Amino acid sequence: MRYLGVCLVLFAALTLNVLSSYATGNKPNTGRTFNYSLFQDTTKNKNLPEKDSLRIDSLAQIKSKTLYNKLAGGVKKETKDLSLFPAISLQQNLKGNYAGLYVQEPSGEPGSIQNMFIRGVPMPLLSKKDLYDAQPLVVLDGIPLVREHPFAFDTQQFDFNRIGPATNLLAGIDLNNIASIEVLKDLATTSIYGPRGVNGVIVLTSKSAGGKYRAISFNSYIGMVQKPYVNTINGKYENEFRQRFYDLYTTNGRYSDDEEYPVYLSDSLNNVYSGKSDWTDLYYKNALIYGVNFSLAGGTDRANFRFALGNTKSEGVADETGIDRYSATFNINMRPTKWLLFSTMINANRLNRDRNRTLRDRFAQVNYFPDLSAPLPPNKDFYASYLQEYRKGFDDNKTNTIQGYAKLEGTFGKFKVISSFNADYSEGYRDVFYARTLLQGNSYASNYYGFSQRLMMDNKATYDLNLNKIHDFHFEVGQSMQWDIYKYNNAYAYKGVNDYIKINLLQSDPNLPNYLTPLAFPRELSYRFVDKTEDNLLSFYGKADYSFSDKYFVSAILRLDGSSNAQPTSRWFYSPTLSAAWNVKNEFLKDSRWIDDLVLRASVGRMGRPFSYDNYAQGPQYTASVGYTGNLTVPGYNAFGVLTRTYQFGWVGYGVPWSYSDQVNIGADASLLKNRLHVSVDLYSKTEKNQLIGIPAFAEYGYKQSIESGMSVNNMGVDLTISGLVISKSKFSWNSSLNLNHNANELKALPRGLDQLVVGNRFLKVGQPVDQYWLLVNNGIYTSDADVPVVNGQKLKYKGIPLKAGDPRWQDQNGDNTIDDNDKVLKGHSLPTVAGGFDNNFKYGNWSLATSLYFNLGRKLINQEMANRFDFVNREGNTDITSVKEITFWEKRGDYSKYPLYNPWSTVIPYRADQDLFLENASFLKLRQVSLGYELGNLLKKKNIKINKFLVYGAVSNIFTITPYTGQDPELVNYDGIDTGYGQPIPRTYTVGVKMEL
Amino acid sequence: MKNILYILLISLVAFSSCNKALETDSTRVVGEKNAWNTVEDARSGILGVYALTRAALSDNNGHWIYGDVRTGEFLSPKRQDLKAVIGNNLNASYPVLESLSDWTRFYAIVNGANVFLENVAHVKDTDKRYTTNNMTVDIAQARFLRAFAYFYMVRIWGDVPFITSSDEGNFANKPRESQARILAWAEQEILKAANDLPFIYSAGDVQQPSDYYNENSTRWGGALATKNTAYAILAHLAAWNGDYTNVSKYAKFVEDNYSKSGGGFTSSTDLSNSNGFFYNKNTRQMFGFNSDYGHVDGSSTGHIEELTLAEPVTTKSVPDIYLPKDSILKYFNIAKDQRFGVDTLGQARFDGRYFTNLNGKYPIFSKIKVIQGGGTDPNFRYFTSALIFTRLEDIVLLRAEALSVLGDQNGALNELLVVQGRRYDDINALALSLNTSDVIKLIFEERHRELMGEGSRWYDLIRYNKIKQNDAKFMNLINSGGIYWPVSRKLISQNSLLTQNAYWR
Repeated sequence: MRYLGVCLVLFAALTLNVLSSYATGNKPNTGRTFNYSLFQDTTKNKNLPEKDSLRIDSLAQIKSKTLYNKLAGGVKKETKDLSLFPAISLQQNLKGNYAGLYVQEPSGEPGSIQNMFIRGVPMPLLSKKDLYDAQPLVVLDGIPLVREHPFAFDTQQFDFNRIGPATNLLAGIDLNNIASIEVLKDLATTSIYGPRGVNGVIVLTSKSAGGKYRAISFNSYIGMVQKPYVNTINGKYENEFRQRFYDLYTTNGRYSDDEEYPVYLSDSLNNVYSGKSDWTDLYYKNALIYGVNFSLAGGTDRANFRFALGNTKSEGVADETGIDRYSATFNINMRPTKWLLFSTMINANRLNRDRNRTLRDRFAQVNYFPDLSAPLPPNKDFYASYLQEYRKGFDDNKTNTIQGYAKLEGTFGKFKVISSFNADYSEGYRDVFYARTLLQGNSYASNYYGFSQRLMMDNKATYDLNLNKIHDFHFEVGQSMQWDIYKYNNAYAYKGVNDYIKINLLQSDPNLPNYLTPLAFPRELSYRFVDKTEDNLLSFYGKADYSFSDKYFVSAILRLDGSSNAQPTSRWFYSPTLSAAWNVKNEFLKDSRWIDDLVLRASVGRMGRPFSYDNYAQGPQYTASVGYTGNLTVPGYNAFGVLTRTYQFGWVGYGVPWSYSDQVNIGADASLLKNRLHVSVDLYSKTEKNQLIGIPAFAEYGYKQSIESGMSVNNMGVDLTISGLVISKSKFSWNSSLNLNHNANELKALPRGLDQLVVGNRFLKVGQPVDQYWLLVNNGIYTSDADVPVVNGQKLKYKGIPLKAGDPRWQDQNGDNTIDDNDKVLKGHSLPTVAGGFDNNFKYGNWSLATSLYFNLGRKLINQEMANRFDFVNREGNTDITSVKEITFWEKRGDYSKYPLYNPWSTVIPYRADQDLFLENASFLKLRQVSLGYELGNLLKKKNIKINKFLVYGAVSNIFTITPYTGQDPELVNYDGIDTGYGQPIPRTYTVGVKMEL
Repeated sequence: MKNILYILLISLVAFSSCNKALETDSTRVVGEKNAWNTVEDARSGILGVYALTRAALSDNNGHWIYGDVRTGEFLSPKRQDLKAVIGNNLNASYPVLESLSDWTRFYAIVNGANVFLENVAHVKDTDKRYTTNNMTVDIAQARFLRAFAYFYMVRIWGDVPFITSSDEGNFANKPRESQARILAWAEQEILKAANDLPFIYSAGDVQQPSDYYNENSTRWGGALATKNTAYAILAHLAAWNGDYTNVSKYAKFVEDNYSKSGGGFTSSTDLSNSNGFFYNKNTRQMFGFNSDYGHVDGSSTGHIEELTLAEPVTTKSVPDIYLPKDSILKYFNIAKDQRFGVDTLGQARFDGRYFTNLNGKYPIFSKIKVIQGGGTDPNFRYFTSALIFTRLEDIVLLRAEALSVLGDQNGALNELLVVQGRRYDDINALALSLNTSDVIKLIFEERHRELMGEGSRWYDLIRYNKIKQNDAKFMNLINSGGIYWPVSRKLISQNSLLTQNAYWR
């Protein structure tokens, strides 16, 4: 930390001096300071007209953009194309709009976590923690945004949600403040962002004043999300469903003497369960969404600003979920002297989220399972009384995020120095109180506070050189330091004195002996957890671009990155990138009338992949790894903290190198038919090497796994974007665009040269994709004991248990007369092989009509929800996670008749989810949005009302889905492709809105 | 030019300081260089081995599923996995069974002890506060716990891999070693440890004269292994080996010396009081692992209460396991038993001691019911009972068993009556009424009643059948290795040198 201080002081010196120079901006010569002179020495200032200075800047930007476009296959979109969709999160805005960017939306619950993958997944997603390492970097105006750290999962028995508010931090981006979004996918463009951008980079550029004297914009929409129509069932229905199994497999309605049939089903006269099933009236509802954003921009070329305020509300259709966002953003650009540009930005957001009330999430949070023999009743009146008890408590989830930068840019002729300080801080609070009535007389209070903080010093210098207007050089050197801190405090307590004191009060008088002991909750039932980790990254890079006659372009980058999470012996990592482009049009086709532009480009390079955990840097290590199933967080023994090897985390040895990504990209951009047809194709291959994976090993030394380096995963595929102006008449136009990505991943290598690996219920085999399911092949049912094959007098067994009538006919793949994990095969993909979007925009005069389609092909899922319903024998009445039944248990989803009636009591667990019986095709086509707009601006202009733009629009979103999947929406699945039924529907939404610019 | 020099200078300072920022020590884990330097590191290390032992025994309530559920005497109304255990279908693919077939957590004890033994000398070198005596006692405990872990594993899996060093950095897969060899080693190891273990901690024992880690004897009583603990485990080990001469010898040592550890017998009421014998820790817990309420060490799992308690003791409608009324009446067949009995009307005496709600659909086995701070609040299933491996009654009964096997039936009966005298109202009448033609049966029946729910019954049954040799079905289990658990398939796939137990192939 001391050294961090030094770095900060250095920065402060820079900034402060600059601020003082700003204060005296009108007479720069007197305000010259030490730092000032750093940048001023080499050049003479000519007094250009002030007006031109920013323009030159933007021209330079345009120029570099053109050059850069020829090197890279990034896709840039103006946000006006995206902002009509009433999204709350960045992910929703991006979904289906960029070839190669795949967005998972596992629940329609507003503000919940969504995942993004650019060009496939870099590693097998074995747990929620892996998701954090697979996300692309989001950069807002040069600030690499910090994410939450997955370390909080270490104290959690269940990883359904990370502790804390678990709010999607990217729901804090108000698209109305963003001018453009660019998705960078190959190293030619991502390399300068460094190792944190190894999974791709999403670059957000804020709107800025743009040199206008005055600009006011007002964007607003209001709308409704529509509740879905669902079929409900009641206890009687469920009872009949189960009775079929009793009829088949029992003689007297009981499978065994001590069989316990659930009371809530057996009593058909019981109106609580067997009466009306109208819980949906309270669970689903039409709800409100709206968004307001107001911005004011102004100033001159010398100094300008933009200020925006916004509020967005997005309610979900189910379970009274929703999120509220309040945002404020402010940026200024100042040019106290013509060679110096100072700009700064602050973007602050507040997110308040109302979370779902699922029992599963509540019990996982509480880490206690009450008696589960009676589920929530389907009857509205009884469900209402449950909700009433729920409302006696609270579940407040608040997230504050603030991003800001201060940047100095000095231009000295061809020489330019840019120095910036970036900060991103996000903090989350979750305060929970559950009344006693919810948990069999035990109240629960929990308070979480956590933050993620990234500070960054970023310096670079560039030099442009143009020789004879043929040779164009651009040199750049840069250095940056990033300090990340992640921390949380989590406390919870059970059994408060009453339901009125809802927080875990502590004695606050330090003079009392019971200082800091809980007052309202028993001390013995109060728990506190603190965790903190730092992650520092120091980087240097040099870059050289060269272009020859606008025909050939070459660029090379060499980086050196040092990470505090790397082991001391391999702290630093060199990574080069080389890219080139060839303008074929300028070379051969200058006279072609059909081809307006044709560029071929290629890049090849390497990028380090930083580790999330500082544990790996330590080598063999100690912690308190003495918890056990259901009680993970045992800190010690006999009230002393203990230290043991990290048996549950796994063995970490020495000599862990950086993991890295080798990427090749070949692309072509063509503009044809008088620029009416644009085609962009990219072929890529990304190989992630030396990745860490926990190999189940060393059990005889107490370790659950050994974390070893050497896993390699390749993603190969193609990104295609075609957009065409199909009709372009003066009044009517039709623009059609298609983007799609085809991706195939393959496991290239495992540590130790292993050929295959079993991790939990996943099977990794070299040469096979990493997103496949590992399943038994189901061929029906044994209707009698005699049906079961016999080899050498031995009946076919499942893991040592002879199969009987009523058991599934699983295929014995290896013919060893026993069914076990060796008979499981890899099938299906949890990620689509083809995904993309197809948009059509029509314009007629002032009218515009836009439609967008979104599709996934070649994707499968496991219908776990269905498996659970059939596996009722193992999921009834126990006090554990398997027996939790949500209110949605009373919703009929899917087709029960598709499945054979196995003997559910069989110890082979016939309705296990790891068989292809529950594997379903999850391809789909969705009509995501249809919008109709009318531009009033032109009309008003005629009446001499000064207005630039006045768009009034109406839109319907999430209109329909075409899919062979029989369950709920095929999108509503976990990262691992398992549909647990917990995803809330993505609702159909109707909005009307206005976009106005004065 | 001067300015450029300044730039260079400043960037140099900035670089070197930023570079240092890369060398941060983790705040989450302790790296090798910061371990084994202070007396606190030694304390964390040795108590870590205890904590690992508790974790291994408590995980998925293994101690009781191995020891009590497997006998098939308890029934499970709802839990399919426990039904499979009760039906001896240990191959069934339920997560709990898979986990109970996995010995990783036991080897964590072994490894924890090995790592401790290999590194503790460094503490001695670097911290003068760490005395030679302290180190001797710590090493003895580590060796004892390691041997105990092997003994426990051998009882569950038979032959297991035998590893006595941490082998860090070059772990090697090992095949299973013969159980006899491991037990012979374990016996020697515990004997050696017993030499160095004190009878009592922080109470002026010659072998541990000062306050152990600066805490008084209340803090340590019942929490650590004493010389008596070691001999008690030696007696158990010898009994498992059928070496009854040594059982008698080791048990005698405990009988002669238990008072030096503050040990003693437990009364019938205290045995089943919720704030009684199993509550927190006390010196009568000859070898136990406490989950002290005051230490915020309780949990809703890892205690037998999770399996056995339900309405009306706790608000859970159906217990995971229960003993049917018929069985209860069969086992408690001696009049005037203070733990449980029925009066002439068939009503339970002492409802709430061993059993609650005898005439309900599910009689609740409520011998151990330490709920929260030893209260009776039924609403919150948060348990703090200590996991007791052995106590004085157990050792006295073991000695009775040994004497009986060795032919000294009178001696055996006397030992038996030492325990029974504390459990029956009228011991003289009882002594007269005992059927002395089958003393060994009497001893095992008393063991069954006394140690019910303490994870002992399965091994008692094995010993009993080995002595009696008259139950063909059980003898077949013993002879075919069916008394062991299958080795987890996961382990076999990780280590190709391992083989499955023949019975479970």
